[in-house]
Amino acid sequence: MSNIERREFLKLIGAGSVGVGAGFALGEANKSPVEFLVPYPIPPEEFSPGIATLYNSVCTMCQAGCGITVRTREGRAKKIEGNPLHPVNQGRLCALGQAGLQALYNPDRITAPLLQIGDRGSDAFVETTWGEGIARLTNQLGQLDDRSGVVLLSEGVNGHLAGLFELLMTELGSDRLLHYDFEYPEALHAANERLFGEQQLPYYDLENSTYLLSFGADFLGNWLSPVHYGLGFGKSRQDGAQRGHYVQIEPRMSLSGAAADEWLPAAPGTEGILALGIARELVAKKYSGADKAAWARALESYTLDYVAAATDVAADTVNRLAHEFMAADAALAIGGGAASGSSNGVDALIAVNALNYLVGNIGKSGGVVFNPPRAFGATSKTQRAGYQQMAELADSAMAGEIDVLIINSTNPVFTLPPTARFEEAMGKIPLIVSLSSFMDETTALADVVLPSHTYLESWGDHTPDPGVAFPVAAISQPVVAPLYNTRSTGDIMLSIAQQLGFSSALPWKDMETYLQDRWRSLYAKGAAGAESFESFWQSVLQSGVWGENSKRDSGPARLVTGAINKIAVAPPEHAGASDEFPFVLHPYPLNSIRDGRGANLPWLQELPDPMTSIVYGSWVEINPVTATELGVADGDVVSVESPGGTLTAPIFIYQAIRPDVIAIPIGQGHSEYGRYAKDRGVNPLQILAPQEEPVTGAVALTGTRVKLVPTGRRVELVKTGGVSRELGRGIVQTTGGSHENADHSAKLKSIPITVEPA
Amino acid sequence: MSFLDRFNENWAALRKPGYYDKFDYAWTMTIDLDRCTGCEACVTACQAENNLPIVGEEEIAKGREMQWLRIERYWEGEYPDIKLRFIPMLCQQCDSAPCETACPVSATYHNQDGLNAQVYNRCIGTRACAVYCPYEVRYFNYYNHHWDTPLDQQLNPDVTVREKGVMEKCTFCIQRIRQGKDLAKDDGRRRVRDGEIQPACAQSCPAEAIVFGDRQDPDSHVAQSMASPRAYKVLEDLNTAPSIVYLKKVAADAG
Amino acid sequence: MQDNDRQLEFVDVNNDIVHSLVETGRTYYICLGIAIAVTLACFFFPWFYQLHYGIGAAGMNQPTVWGTYLASFIFWIGLSHSGTLLSCVLHITNSSWRKAMYRSAEAMTLFSLVVAAIMVMVHVGRPWFVHWAVPYPNQMELWPNFRSPLMFDVMAITTYLTGSTIFIYMGSIPDFAAVRDRTTGWRHHLYVLLSLGWRGTDREWHRLGWAYTFLAVLIIPLAVSVHSIVSWDFALSIVPSLHQTIFAPYFVVGAIYSGTAGIVTVMFMLRKYMNFGQYITTLHFDNLGKLLLLLSLIWTYINIIEVFTGWYSGTSTEIESLNYRMFGYYGWLYWEMIAFCAVAPLLMISKKFRTSFVPMLILSIAINIGMYTERFLIVGTSLSRQYLPDAWRTYTPSMIEISILIGSLAMFVTLFMLFVKIFPSVSIYEVKETMDLPDAAKESDGEATWQTTS
Repeated sequence: MSNIERREFLKLIGAGSVGVGAGFALGEANKSPVEFLVPYPIPPEEFSPGIATLYNSVCTMCQAGCGITVRTREGRAKKIEGNPLHPVNQGRLCALGQAGLQALYNPDRITAPLLQIGDRGSDAFVETTWGEGIARLTNQLGQLDDRSGVVLLSEGVNGHLAGLFELLMTELGSDRLLHYDFEYPEALHAANERLFGEQQLPYYDLENSTYLLSFGADFLGNWLSPVHYGLGFGKSRQDGAQRGHYVQIEPRMSLSGAAADEWLPAAPGTEGILALGIARELVAKKYSGADKAAWARALESYTLDYVAAATDVAADTVNRLAHEFMAADAALAIGGGAASGSSNGVDALIAVNALNYLVGNIGKSGGVVFNPPRAFGATSKTQRAGYQQMAELADSAMAGEIDVLIINSTNPVFTLPPTARFEEAMGKIPLIVSLSSFMDETTALADVVLPSHTYLESWGDHTPDPGVAFPVAAISQPVVAPLYNTRSTGDIMLSIAQQLGFSSALPWKDMETYLQDRWRSLYAKGAAGAESFESFWQSVLQSGVWGENSKRDSGPARLVTGAINKIAVAPPEHAGASDEFPFVLHPYPLNSIRDGRGANLPWLQELPDPMTSIVYGSWVEINPVTATELGVADGDVVSVESPGGTLTAPIFIYQAIRPDVIAIPIGQGHSEYGRYAKDRGVNPLQILAPQEEPVTGAVALTGTRVKLVPTGRRVELVKTGGVSRELGRGIVQTTGGSHENADHSAKLKSIPITVEPA
Repeated sequence: MSFLDRFNENWAALRKPGYYDKFDYAWTMTIDLDRCTGCEACVTACQAENNLPIVGEEEIAKGREMQWLRIERYWEGEYPDIKLRFIPMLCQQCDSAPCETACPVSATYHNQDGLNAQVYNRCIGTRACAVYCPYEVRYFNYYNHHWDTPLDQQLNPDVTVREKGVMEKCTFCIQRIRQGKDLAKDDGRRRVRDGEIQPACAQSCPAEAIVFGDRQDPDSHVAQSMASPRAYKVLEDLNTAPSIVYLKKVAADAG
Repeated sequence: MQDNDRQLEFVDVNNDIVHSLVETGRTYYICLGIAIAVTLACFFFPWFYQLHYGIGAAGMNQPTVWGTYLASFIFWIGLSHSGTLLSCVLHITNSSWRKAMYRSAEAMTLFSLVVAAIMVMVHVGRPWFVHWAVPYPNQMELWPNFRSPLMFDVMAITTYLTGSTIFIYMGSIPDFAAVRDRTTGWRHHLYVLLSLGWRGTDREWHRLGWAYTFLAVLIIPLAVSVHSIVSWDFALSIVPSLHQTIFAPYFVVGAIYSGTAGIVTVMFMLRKYMNFGQYITTLHFDNLGKLLLLLSLIWTYINIIEVFTGWYSGTSTEIESLNYRMFGYYGWLYWEMIAFCAVAPLLMISKKFRTSFVPMLILSIAINIGMYTERFLIVGTSLSRQYLPDAWRTYTPSMIEISILIGSLAMFVTLFMLFVKIFPSVSIYEVKETMDLPDAAKESDGEATWQTTS
C-alpha cells in the first residue's frame, strides 16, 4: 500500500466515486415503487380490516338462478359460495358459478365506453365518454321517424330488468324485444305446452324419485339447473329409504351418463321412439286412465320389435325398462340434450312427458310438479328467441328493416350456426350498440360499446327458471365498487330513456330505485310478514332470497285436447347422405364453459373436462373401434367435414360413444372474447347443416352428418389425466346391491399391516 | 432443562401409544362415491379458496397443473357395457404419512389436529415428499406464478401465495379450521360445533358427497358417515392411515 | 519425450512427475480453456437462468418430480465410489499395482463428490436455503428431520467428502515435500504450505503409515454406507420398483462398477496425455478389467433379480412399472443399458481385450453411459408409473437439463485438469516402493523418498 502515489490515489478516488455514483443511480433506477401499509383508524363503514363481509346475491352465469354468498375482504370480492338459504342450490355452487369472480376481475374487461372508428370488426375502438356514447345511440334513435326497426336483443333476463326493457321498447314503439340464449330449452318449452298446455317448465322432483329415465338430459352437467339436480341426485342416491335407480339414454356418455346405473346408447335421435315403446308397454300393462283407449291407439305401432329395430336397443331391454319404470315407487322421466336436439326433438320430449303422465307422477312427490307463475320477469311483450326468431331477425335486417340493434350480453355470432346468416345480417344494420362487459364476437362488430357492470357490481333481481315448485326470487346487489368506468344495464336503459325524454314512463333515477319500486309491489301483495317495506327490503338483502311458502295445487293432470292423437315420433333425419357422411355429429356444451360463455374465465379453461381430462381446447370424440377402423389415434388431427362446413381438431378416443357418432364439445373456438378464449379450439356449431326441427324451426343440434378425413398432422392433447383404467388396483371400489344397508358384508379386502407402537 | 432432556421427553411422548388420540381434533373427510358426479365444482372451489395459480396451457402440457384436488376417472368395461367412475383425489392427511419422513428439513409435519401441515417458509424444494406420496397429491411450484391484473385482487388474504421452489398441497382449508376454532373460543365454547367448519370443496359439492368434521366426536356427521359399511380407504394396504374415507360406489345391477 | 522401454530410475520418477507439474504445453491450456468455457456456458449459465426463473426450466412434471439432476447426482456419487474405496482396499491388501493409479483415482472421488454436491444445489427448488438441511444450533431450535433419508444423505456425503479429502491429502504429503524441494517461485510457496514441514524422518514415515492405514480401514465401510444411503432415498419410499431391499447392494455395486470404469478412462487419459506410460501399464488395465468383469456380472445378477422380484410379486403396480421401464417410452434406453453394462463387458473375458488400451477406453466410456442411463431410468421411469394410473405421465428432460449434464462433465474435467497441475498425480514415493533399490553408485537427489514403512 505504501507505494501508491498521490496521483494514483486521486485517480482511484475518482474511479471509486464514479463507481459509487453509478451504483447509486442504478440502485435508484431499480427501486420498486414505494408502497405504504395504510392503517385504517377509521375504516369505511362496509368493512373492518381482516374480517370478511358476506353479501348475498344471485348468480346470473346461467339461467338456473342459484343464490350466492360473496365473501369480500377490504372491499374486494374473494370468493363466491352458495347461499344456504336459497332453495335452488341450498349453499352449493357449480364451477361456472364460482368462476364468476373471474368475470368481475377479468383482465380483458371493457373498461370504458368505446366507439368504432374504423370498419366494423376492425377492432379500431377508441375510448369515449358515457355522454358521447349514449348520445350516439339516442341521436340515431331521435332521427328515426318510425322506431319499429329498433331491436333490443338481450340475454335471457329473469328479473325486473326485463320489465325495464319492455317499458323502454314500448316507449320507443318497437315490438322487437328478444331474449336470446343458446341454452334456452326451446324444445322442452314447446313440448310442455303441446302436451300439458303449460307455459312454464315444470319442476322435476329428482330428490324424491326412485327411478329416473333420462333421455339425453345431462342434468348433472348443463341441463336447466345442474346444481339443484345435483343436490336432488345426491339425496335420491343415499338419503332416501330406497336408492334411486338412474338410466341414461344417449349416444355419447355425458356426466350424467357416468353417474347413471345404466347407460344405454340408443341410436342418435331415437330417444323419443324408445320412450314411446316404453309408453306402449305401460299402457298395455299398467295404465288404467279413462283415456287408455286413445293412448293404445296412438301407440299401437310402437311395438317392442319396431322400437328395438329403430333404436338399436334390445327388445328385452326396452321391456325391462318399461316394467321397472311402472313398478317403481316414484318414477320420473326427463328429456333434453341429445333427445331435444334431433330433428324430432319436440316430439321426443312430448313422448318423454307422456311417460310421466302415464306413470301417474304428475303433481306427486318424486314426479313432475307444475310451477306456479313466476314472481316477476319477462311478460309476453318479450319474445324468447330461438333459432327461428333469430333467423327471422336476420332476414329482416337483410331486408333493411332494422335500423338500430342494441345487444345486451348475448353472443349470437358465436352460438348461432352460420345458416342463420346473423353475422352477415349485422352488416346491413346502420347502428349496432353492445352493452357487453367483454369483447365477444358480437361486440367486436358493434359501432358503440357501452360496457355494462358484471353482475357482482350491479343491482338486479332474478327468479329461477325453471322454478322449484313455489315462487322464489332473489336480489342481486353490488358486492364491490365498480372496477371500471362501466354502468349497470338498467342504468344505461334509464339514461337512454332520459335522453329520449321518456321520463314519465321511466321516472327512476337508477336501477336501485327502480328495483325498490318494483319490490314494493311484491311487498304490497302481502307476500312478506315484515313491518315496513324498508325492513322487508333489508331482510331480503340479508337473506338474499325471498320465497312464498305456497305450492301450486296442480290438481289432476290434464292434457291438451287432442294431444294424445298427435303423439308420434318420426325417425330422425340428418343432413347429409349416410354413405358420404358416415357419422352423426353430436355437439354438446362443455360442463365448465357451457355454450362458450365461460371460455374467458381461466379457472374454467384450466378445469379438466371431467370425462376426458382435456383442458384448453377442442377435440373430436370417437369410439375406439371406429378409430381403429379409420387408423387414427389420440391427437391425430382430422378434418371434420359436413354438408355445412369443415373444421379440424384432434381425435380423442372416447370409450363410451356409439361407433356411428362423433362428438365435439361446444364452447371453444372463439375468435374474440379475451386472451383466455381467443383462438383456442373449434366451434362445432359452425359446421351445422340446415336440418330443421319442424316444430320450433330450429336447426337440429344433432341433425348433421359428417365424415372424418385424417390430415396426417398430430398434436399432443393437453390433458391432466394419464391412463384411465384401474388395472385391478381397487382405487374406485364398488359394492353390489342397491343400497348401503343391504351391504353389511362388504368389508375391506385388503389386510393392512398394523404396527404396534413400541 | 437441557436440549437433550427436552428432546428425550418429546421423543418419548411421540412414541407413546395413543399419541394421536390426545389431539384436539381428528379432522376427517368422507367422500361418498355413490353421490359424487365428477362435476368438478370442488376443484374450482379449491382453486378460488387457496390461491392456486393459473399455470397456462403449456405448463399443463408439460404436466404441471396446480390443482390440490383433482378428479380421477377410471373406465370399466368396453362399449357398450361401459362405466366411468370418478374419484376425487386430494391430500389424504395420512396419520402415518410417508411424506413426513421424507422431508430433510421437516417442512411437512403432523400438527396437533392430525393434519399434515406444510410449512412453505421452511420448504427447500427437494420434492422428496412428492416422490414418497403414493397419492401424488403434492404439487410443486416450478415458477413464481403470475396473475394477470386485476385477477390478483381475488387472492384470498388468509392464504399465502407460494413462491417458486416450494411444495404445496391440500391443507383441509386450514385457514378455515383456524378461524372456526378462534370463533369457538371467542364464543366461550371449548370445541367447534359439527359442521361449523367446511373446507371449500365440501361447501361447494352439489351432490353433498363430501362430509367434513371431527371423527373424535361420535355424533358428528363424519363419524357416522365413516361407520357406513361402504367405507374404505384408497391404497389402504400401504398402511398410510389416511384421514379421507371413501364410501364405495354402489354398482346396481340392471334390474 | 521418454522411451517407454527405458529402465526407470528413482530420479526419473521425480523428474517425470515434477515435469508433469511444472511443464505445461499449449495443448493443456487450450483444453483447460475449453473445459472452463463449457463449464460456464453449459453449467453455470443455465443454472443461473434456472435459479432466476425456477426449476420449471427443467422438464420435471407432476408425478415425476425428480429428473436428470438427481440422476446426475447419483451418477457422480457413484463415480466417486471406486477411487478412494479401491485405493483403500488395495492398500490394506498390499496390492502393489495400485500405487501408480491410486492418486488420480482418489482425485476422481473428490471431484465427483464436489460435482455431486453441486448437483444437489441444482436439484433443489430453493438452493439458497439448502443449509437448513445441516444440523446447526440456532435460536429457533429448528433441526433437520433425522428420519429423512435425505438427511442421512447429507450426513453420509459430508463425512465421505471429509474422509476422502483427508485421505488423499495425507497420502500426498511426502510428494508435496518432494516437489517442494524441486520447484521455485509461487509453487515452492504453495508446496511449503501443503507439505506441512515434512522432512522425511523415520518418525514421520511411521506416523504417516499408521494413520494412512487407519483411514483406509475407516473409509471402506463409509464408502459402502454412502451409496447404500443414497439408495435409501429411493428404497425407503413406497414407489413401486424403487421400494426394494436389493437397492442398497445394487447401488453400491453399480457405484463401484461405474467408478472403476471411470478410473480406466482417467488412466488412459493420464497415460496418453501426461506421459505416464511408464507407470500406468497393461498390468493396471488387465487388473481393472478383471475387476470390471466381476462387477458387471454382479450387476447383471442384481438386474435379473430386480426384474424377477417385480414379475414374481404379481401386483399390477410392480409389473406396470417394470413394463414401462423395459418396454415403455424409454424402453430403448433400458436395452441400451443392458447392452453397455451387461453384454459388452463380457468382452473382457479375453486377456487380449483387457490389455488393449483403446478398446478398454471405449468400453469404459460405454459402461459409464450405460450406468448414467441406469440412474436416469431409476428416477425417470419409476416415478412416472406409480399407484394411481390416472396420474401417470411421461417425463422428458429439457434442453437445460441436458446442458447442465454436459456442463457437469466439463466441470469435472476442469477440476481434474487443475488437479494434475497441482497434485503429483502419480504417487512418487509409492511408485518407488515398487521399484528395485537404486544402485548404490547412483546418488539419488539426497532425499529419503525411497524409505518405506509398510
